[in-house]
Amino acid sequence: MLDKTLKEIHEALINKQVTSEDLVKEALAKSYEIKEKYNAFVTILDDAKGRTVTDDLVSGIPFGVKDNYSTKDVLSTGSSNTLNNYVPFYTATVVQNLFNKGAIMVNKTAMDEFGMGGTGTTCHTGPVLNPWDKTRMCAGSSAGSACAVASGVYPYALGSDTGDSIRKPAAFCGIVGYKPTYGMLSRYGLFPFASSLDHCGVLTRCVEDAAIIVDAMKGQDENDMTSWDSSNIHLEKHLNDNVQGKKLFYIKEIADLENYPNASVELKEHLQNFHDTLNKFKTLGVEIEGVSINQELLNAIASVYVIISCAEATSNMSNLTGIIFGPRGNNPKVMDMIKEHRTLGFSPLIKRRFVIGSYVLQKENQERYFKNAQRVRRLIVDKIEELFQKYDGLILPVSSGPAKHFDQDDDCIDENTSVLEEHLQIGNFGGFPSITIPSGFINDLPVGINITGARYHDELVLNLASKLESLMPYKGQIAKEVTK
Amino acid sequence: MPKFTKEMVDDYAAKLLIGLTEEENKMVLDEFEAIDKSIENVTKIKGIEKIEPMTHALDNFIFSLREDKAAPSIPIEDALRNAARVEGREIEVPKVVD
Repeated sequence: MLDKTLKEIHEALINKQVTSEDLVKEALAKSYEIKEKYNAFVTILDDAKGRTVTDDLVSGIPFGVKDNYSTKDVLSTGSSNTLNNYVPFYTATVVQNLFNKGAIMVNKTAMDEFGMGGTGTTCHTGPVLNPWDKTRMCAGSSAGSACAVASGVYPYALGSDTGDSIRKPAAFCGIVGYKPTYGMLSRYGLFPFASSLDHCGVLTRCVEDAAIIVDAMKGQDENDMTSWDSSNIHLEKHLNDNVQGKKLFYIKEIADLENYPNASVELKEHLQNFHDTLNKFKTLGVEIEGVSINQELLNAIASVYVIISCAEATSNMSNLTGIIFGPRGNNPKVMDMIKEHRTLGFSPLIKRRFVIGSYVLQKENQERYFKNAQRVRRLIVDKIEELFQKYDGLILPVSSGPAKHFDQDDDCIDENTSVLEEHLQIGNFGGFPSITIPSGFINDLPVGINITGARYHDELVLNLASKLESLMPYKGQIAKEVTK
Repeated sequence: MPKFTKEMVDDYAAKLLIGLTEEENKMVLDEFEAIDKSIENVTKIKGIEKIEPMTHALDNFIFSLREDKAAPSIPIEDALRNAARVEGREIEVPKVVD
């Protein structure tokens, strides 16, 4: 039953074809199976119980929560050894909003440590395997949530997205990943990584479920001063609006094959899939044009992201000392004790990014690195906003193809880091609403397409995504392991 | 601009209270080299120095602040429950001053 949509499951509950208790049992049994096969969870909540079914579509239905959301009395580690025993005494606002509507949390999902990776391999519980092909990664950081939803454990799980941490795993797992406009969802209770870029969001198997869940979670929160009143936004209500005459653009430098003279067969197929998908969309009367953007700005995206996110993370995570929470080091001297906690607790990726973050924040380096990164952030955002004056949204392929093998991506940026891999970070730079949906298969593995819109235009972004989804046969798909 | 060196990486790591292996130190320098090249290109963008740095996703946003009223604090038991060592109603901390 949990491989259905929220509305289908809700109807079955109302018609008494199934009980909430049955659903919890099914989700827990499936959780153990998926943990064993793909290592997707940090914690499975054996004591989860069925709840009363009401008119709320989420009532009585299980869901998963990424392990960087604070959940009262439930272990919340951020997939880090530095918090491997941390049990919060309060619940994140967005999770509480779902609880208030009768939703049932059944597990906490594994992730790249504190959200700082894009591979799903730096979780303290080990790498999360892709449910379509265990030799490949889910991408990250919301790896466990993507894996679980794609495997049919439940219809949705919460993720967080600082660079592309919801939207890329969604593509690699053949599902939907949506992060709303910055501030529509309260970040209170989300472990901070880079506060100016961090977004809450959701992974689902169809656009309608993403709309239903964000409608249920959103709302201004006095505990998050960056949240805003979205009571006039009704995502689900506008999913079927007519999209004829809407105008989208794609960035030629990113999506046109002629820019990749040495393209692999996989990349060629991926970009062909993208342009084929655009042609399908045009049959609904949507106009789509290629637009050129200064290549220098596009090439700077990855570095700008690393500089800003590492600088903010270095500051945000300076409280991880092992003194007030987390396991303490054994050294009797306080500084050595903290150093032991941090050296042994953090993964190599985090440690090196802290050093980079600290370096770019030094007084003598700030202007060249941190301030210039922030300036380029503005130039990129201003350019995209200028285009949003003329167009209703930006549409682009996600990544350079399907999920990568574990040895194909070590999360280091180098000179060859492709803009195609990193462009979703534009959505975080500007706080734009952004959604990935599945758009096909390459070598039997799913690939995705992304639509990003102007701030506060979430209804339109989801409307466009829903209409495009309706033209393709991937809505609600469950991962099937591919034998290679 | 002085080059980011192996010794500097170790120095920053020490200030951050983290230890790095030789391999990790090299990875910092390799990754930073790519960042530095990218930023070098950024500095060549005409008029870049006049652009106002963007510090936030919604920097035209008017934040709403709570009223400055005293509210209940969390129970002390809750604050203590994640500390490794506790004495009575306080967190036991290691000696800080030698």
